[in-house]
Amino acid sequence: MTTLTTPHRPSPDSSDRAGSTDRADSPAPRRRRSARVREAAQLSATIPALIWFLVFTVGPLVSLFSFSTVNWRGLIAPRTPAGLGNFERLFTDPVVGLAAWNTLLQLVVSLPIVVLGAFMLAYYLSLKPRGHRIMRALMFTPVLLSASALAMVFVGVFAPKGMINGFLDAVGLDELARPWLADGTSALWAIIIVTIWCSMSVSAIMLAARLNSVDESIFEAAEIDGAGHWRRMWQIAWPICREFIGVVTMLQFLWTLFASAAVVLLLTRGGPGNATVTLAFLVYDFAFNQSKVGYSQAVAVVLFVVGVAGILLIRRAFRQKY
Amino acid sequence: MTTTAAPEARPAERRTAPAAPPPVRRRRRRGDALGRTGPSKYLAHAGVWLYVLLLAAPLYYLVISAFKRNTDIFNQPFSPFTPLTFDNFGLAFSQASLGTAMLNSVYVTLGAELVTLLLAIPASYALARSKGAVGRMVERVFALGFLIPGFAALVPTVLLSISLGLFHTREFLILFLPASALPLTVILLTQAMRAVPAELEESAVLDGAGPLRVLWSVYVPLSVPTLTVVAILNFLSFWNEYFFSLVIIGPDAALRTAQVALPTLSIANAAQYGVLAAGIIITLVPAYLVYAVFADKMESAVLAGALKG
Repeated sequence: MTTLTTPHRPSPDSSDRAGSTDRADSPAPRRRRSARVREAAQLSATIPALIWFLVFTVGPLVSLFSFSTVNWRGLIAPRTPAGLGNFERLFTDPVVGLAAWNTLLQLVVSLPIVVLGAFMLAYYLSLKPRGHRIMRALMFTPVLLSASALAMVFVGVFAPKGMINGFLDAVGLDELARPWLADGTSALWAIIIVTIWCSMSVSAIMLAARLNSVDESIFEAAEIDGAGHWRRMWQIAWPICREFIGVVTMLQFLWTLFASAAVVLLLTRGGPGNATVTLAFLVYDFAFNQSKVGYSQAVAVVLFVVGVAGILLIRRAFRQKY
Repeated sequence: MTTTAAPEARPAERRTAPAAPPPVRRRRRRGDALGRTGPSKYLAHAGVWLYVLLLAAPLYYLVISAFKRNTDIFNQPFSPFTPLTFDNFGLAFSQASLGTAMLNSVYVTLGAELVTLLLAIPASYALARSKGAVGRMVERVFALGFLIPGFAALVPTVLLSISLGLFHTREFLILFLPASALPLTVILLTQAMRAVPAELEESAVLDGAGPLRVLWSVYVPLSVPTLTVVAILNFLSFWNEYFFSLVIIGPDAALRTAQVALPTLSIANAAQYGVLAAGIIITLVPAYLVYAVFADKMESAVLAGALKG
């Protein structure tokens, strides 16, 4: 929130003006009460939005915690209390362990590549080199792709007779060709590559917009002092955009943690075997394909806690330092 | 020298216009961006263009495959000069009933847009005008909403739709999607409406306008730029929504949205990328049209979406 600058209306000024006209005829306490009544009447316009928010966002989230403590075999089956049994099961379940490991791997590999890569790209774009406008237009396309369109694009890329194998065939490396999504080790890397492909360009565009709002004289002063682009990028641009880079990291973190469930579902369904399961995918899979609704909600609670903890951690790590 | 540089400087000025007036901005010469860096500049250029190539390759493959026959996709995967065919588009429409699915998506997207604005405009108006502690608290509630990752509540949301009797309907999504869009919409609109000069409102009130009239004739027209940004942002997220549409509306061909219908093409055409590619392009058209019309607004929309942290 701190990155948003709030243009406040000159409020003390206008309330003074209102006060000066009232002061003659009404005593102070009543005026304060009527002001409060007026505020309440005004704010009643926010009630529908608040109700919506409560019913559709807060409600489901709160019930998530209670659902995670029941035994529940299907959406219309009866529930029986299970206490913390679901959570105890989590820690011994090898599939959940594998999913946690895959999720961690996905985050540890893709976050630094996306954030550092996007920042360098953004710095390059902010210099407005030749062709930067074509580059921007191209980099914008992944924003327009839905999760399902994204996954479908890569169905064609990774298919046994798809783009990558076609390319390997064309350059004479056909012995490297393989069914990328059906192979236990390459499938997880394929998922990670999809994550990086679609989010690096978006992050770069956002960071470039941030860099363009930096006063250019700062960079010029550094240039006169003899700092090359490499130093200007890491020692000037990075600290200035630090907080915004934190925001981009946070979005990327949440996107990887949650939204990549759709990519996994559509590209591999967690397979081959359980090679590509992630925590977010298991929330869906346990509830809708394996009739373990209560158990899936325990995974969702863990995911939610990890998400909130991650946000707080990233926010702390990227706090502005000057 | 300045004449060649002028067109480059303009987009930057447009983006930063609210922050800093541009007259003192010094301009760089074209192609000279990495000028003083030594040989490492070639490394930088090469790296970036390699990235662009990797970014473009799947998109290029997608577009050319959509217009190819299946045998040509296998035999000449990268050549754009194979015989042109439009059969894939017809097949995509008929195999996945994409026409119905697109209409369903339009219905859900526009319905959700309307509900979002109906809820957010009065709320933002009230928050922008209020100066008290309660108003600030309500605003903070919406700001906290950013932190809630909706996906975690997938199953409880399905249960909510069942208990409302709206499971397997498009209407539940029309009601549900605005809730996820409200926090950002309300915050951005409130900021825009705070910037409306108090004098305008006062003179409208002196002319005898009530609060509704003030909202409609003063605040709404003056916040059109932000309304556009918010509407674009919400359009993209509603049109592209996948998981909730999948589990709540379900696979019924008469009700499902375009994003849910699209993957069925990959199952039906395991070895035929052409039909799938055509399907992807069809479902991309509305989002691309919005991009083409509002290209300059898009960037600020996405940026606004990022700032929600």
